[in-house]
Amino acid sequence: MNFRRIQTVFVKELVDILRDVRTLAAMIIVPLVLYPAIMIGGLQAVSTTTQAVEGERIIVGVEPREAWDAVVVPLLDAERRFLNQRAEAERDRVDDSTTASTGDAPPPVARRPVADQVFLSERSPGESLDDAVRQRHVHCGIVVQGAGWRTGNTADPVRIKLKYQPEDLRSEYAAGRLTEAFELVSDVQLDKRLRLLNIDRDFIEPIRIEREQLSTPGSVLGLILPLVLVLMTITGAIYPAIDLTAGERERGTLESLMACPVPVIELIVGKFLVVSTIAIVGAALNLASVTATVYFGGIEQALSGAASDGAQGFPIRALPVILLSLIPFAVFVSALMIAVCCCGRTFKEAQNYVTPLIIAVIVLGGIGSLPGARLAGVLVVMPVANMVLLTRELLSGVSVGPTVFAWVLTSTSLYAVAAVVMAAQVFGRESVVFADNVSFIALFRRRMFVPCDRPTVTAVGIYAVILFPVWFHIQGWLQLDAERDMGGVFRGTAVLMPILFGLIPMAFLIWRRVDLTATFQLRRPAGAALLGGILIGASAWVLAHSVLVWQSQWFGGVPADAEDAAKRAIASMPLWFVGLVLALVPALSEELFFRGFLLSGLRSSMRPTPAILIAAIAFGLFHFLAIRMVTTVALGLLFGWIAWRTWSIWPGVAAHICHNAILAILLVRPEWLRAIAPADDAAAAAHLPVQTTAGAMVMLGLGIILVARSRRREMPAPEAVRAGSTRRGSM
Amino acid sequence: MTMIAVDNLTKVFPTPDGRGKSAVHGVSFRVDKGEIYGLLGPNGAGKTTTLRIISGLMSPTSGSAVLSGYNVFDRPQEVKRSIGFLTANTGLYQRLSPRDILRYFAELHGMDRKRAIERSERLIEWLDMTDFADLRCGALSTGQRQRTNIGRALIADPPILIMDEPTLGLDVLSNRMILDFIRRERSVGKTIVLSTHYLDEAEGMCDRVGLLHNGRIIADGTLDELRKCAGTDRLSSIFLTLIHERQSVGFPAA
Repeated sequence: MNFRRIQTVFVKELVDILRDVRTLAAMIIVPLVLYPAIMIGGLQAVSTTTQAVEGERIIVGVEPREAWDAVVVPLLDAERRFLNQRAEAERDRVDDSTTASTGDAPPPVARRPVADQVFLSERSPGESLDDAVRQRHVHCGIVVQGAGWRTGNTADPVRIKLKYQPEDLRSEYAAGRLTEAFELVSDVQLDKRLRLLNIDRDFIEPIRIEREQLSTPGSVLGLILPLVLVLMTITGAIYPAIDLTAGERERGTLESLMACPVPVIELIVGKFLVVSTIAIVGAALNLASVTATVYFGGIEQALSGAASDGAQGFPIRALPVILLSLIPFAVFVSALMIAVCCCGRTFKEAQNYVTPLIIAVIVLGGIGSLPGARLAGVLVVMPVANMVLLTRELLSGVSVGPTVFAWVLTSTSLYAVAAVVMAAQVFGRESVVFADNVSFIALFRRRMFVPCDRPTVTAVGIYAVILFPVWFHIQGWLQLDAERDMGGVFRGTAVLMPILFGLIPMAFLIWRRVDLTATFQLRRPAGAALLGGILIGASAWVLAHSVLVWQSQWFGGVPADAEDAAKRAIASMPLWFVGLVLALVPALSEELFFRGFLLSGLRSSMRPTPAILIAAIAFGLFHFLAIRMVTTVALGLLFGWIAWRTWSIWPGVAAHICHNAILAILLVRPEWLRAIAPADDAAAAAHLPVQTTAGAMVMLGLGIILVARSRRREMPAPEAVRAGSTRRGSM
Repeated sequence: MTMIAVDNLTKVFPTPDGRGKSAVHGVSFRVDKGEIYGLLGPNGAGKTTTLRIISGLMSPTSGSAVLSGYNVFDRPQEVKRSIGFLTANTGLYQRLSPRDILRYFAELHGMDRKRAIERSERLIEWLDMTDFADLRCGALSTGQRQRTNIGRALIADPPILIMDEPTLGLDVLSNRMILDFIRRERSVGKTIVLSTHYLDEAEGMCDRVGLLHNGRIIADGTLDELRKCAGTDRLSSIFLTLIHERQSVGFPAA
């Protein structure tokens, strides 16, 4: 990749886009004006409405009607009386303390009696109290129950039920005010009765509960701000992404650009960097604007309420971290936008394609905004949702572990890389550059694809990147019930593995009209190669065991508990079942995926050595066991070499089945190990006898020679594939 | 010396009904150094598709094209380095000036900043663009836009020029200027392939022509050879005669 050319594209596109008023408006004016306007305006509107409601009349309906005069009015009058008494007592106390000291504590604000505001509404005939509240004819319905108020029997207490609509601010306020009033009267009466009986209130109220809200501006903002930031970042990226891709086509400049001796990936990277820069600057401005509004707009106190004591203020220290985490997100969004917009032939068409993407982002962001959502499990790698959650946690002052933080950033960065590569593939496609005669949907119809031998590196790479977190979480999900039912783990793996590693890639290849035989290397192998594979598989485990033992001396081994649980579970299973779920299914699925789908895709654009190496590293990573990484990668290299050398997947499948089967059998029948290993208990952790290791090495050597000398069938060179224009890789 | 060798080029576009639409069928021609080759034909004859394929912008269904010794399908970047491609539409970046555009494309062709500036200034002078070199392209006339486009195609001083309808929609003055410029490029040894459906224009300029009809070359040679073949003088008459002849002998439509 030529970075100077990328810089040229970057500078040109940046100058071009910044000369457009619309970009500047979306990038600068929206965050700088919108936030203060929305936040200050919104808060003022809420405050004004609340104040207006506080002064308004409270219209109530009472059931039964006679309870209004008999119960409600006396209770409201009692509240007025108690409040007046309390205010007078308070004034006296303040006067006394003022004369006694020069203390400057302000007198508490007296509560206004609710009786001044409450009015009875006569309901229409036939209208129930519930309907009156629902239809908002009254703010609150008061149902008075119990017989005591009619009979004067104080042993039969008055029961009051308030009916209101919480989503109606006036109704909510009315119910709140009436509750306060009735509770005050009830409290005073209770105190009086207790005094008559000479009982201390604490005696009948052994536990007193108080609730204190510890909201901070950060935690309040954390409920809504992350999604807003995410949406604003996307908003900033939309226009440049469309202008730099579909706009290029609409203006008629794309053809001239494609005629330049510049690889498409360099053009796309240059354009993508511009969109990313604008999205990042937009995100930073959004964040700065929010912070400034919260600080200088006097919103901090309004957001934090009673807890605004300075120490719990807006988490300014979290802002650089939030910005840092927004950068990969902005990069990811930009790449996604570029990839989607590349498919559009006109500005309008690209806008249509962006709309579902925004809806998807809102849905994913909404998942992250759910009140109970936590940054854990699958949400850590769920695009958009993970960023919303991370920002929320940081704003709320919740500490985020470095592993989780790394997972969020890594997964987002991986999605970004996949999206950029995908964009390069789409941007350069002839059907997109010159799609004058076909619709966008038609581009995805199967018959529009040219038959080809292998999938592209992009297609297999994107699938592998998606499969990695999916498989990781499926494994985690299967393990949830492992202690109780280890068989369930194996059964789940045996069903899901062939689907994810074999059937879905196969369906993709059929759709794209890619040759299955060539991609999965399903050709019949030479007999010698097959025998070589079996010998390699039957001996490689001995060397892998030695490496593990050697490694465990330095780095420790697999946790004994985990291994013992697995061993116990496996030992109780029938041998055929163990062979099926531990040997046959994983071997076949993994060979189809890693040595078929992935290796063929990698070989479409790289030489054998790096392709085999990358496929082997992927094979190692997909086992999610750091301690076995070295041996798994080594086995991946060996199997990859066999597949490349024999141009067939079957010798590798044979090797893989033998390898897995032997390990599985030794787990089920540990006594068989003693035939070839020392009979002490530490057998599994110790090196095997020298003669066993030497025998295995001879077998391995023989197997390698057989594979190497078997009738070799050359794979077509990638150059040849590319040159034959009718057999090019698709996508 | 053959600069362009096109052999049996065929392009079938996939269509939603799965049958495919043939745009170019078995097209072959050769162009020597310092020659202007005209690819002539009515709208939809396959001229643009042929030029896009030989410029490395489109892959053919079959056939080959070698430019400056490079097979366009094996070495598309080398081919792109040795050609200047003028597209049929005059689209330009609306918010950039012609000077910005020339420098941008010069740098995309690998020139350093100093050389890019020198080359851009020279072309601005040659193409008489000084008056509008710093205006934004959105404000330019069609003729000015086409001059900017020609400058862009010539920016890397390529040995081969491929021009798709270079005079389409131009007024008489701009037309004259562009044609003079093309002749001047030929005089300095450039190999030029141009497509046009203005037959009179081609008659006065092309050394050899290929008549394209329904995706097939129905005649290829110098004007004298074609005159002899068709028994008529004017290129438009030659074209009509040859089409009539082909149709009367049941020449298959593409």
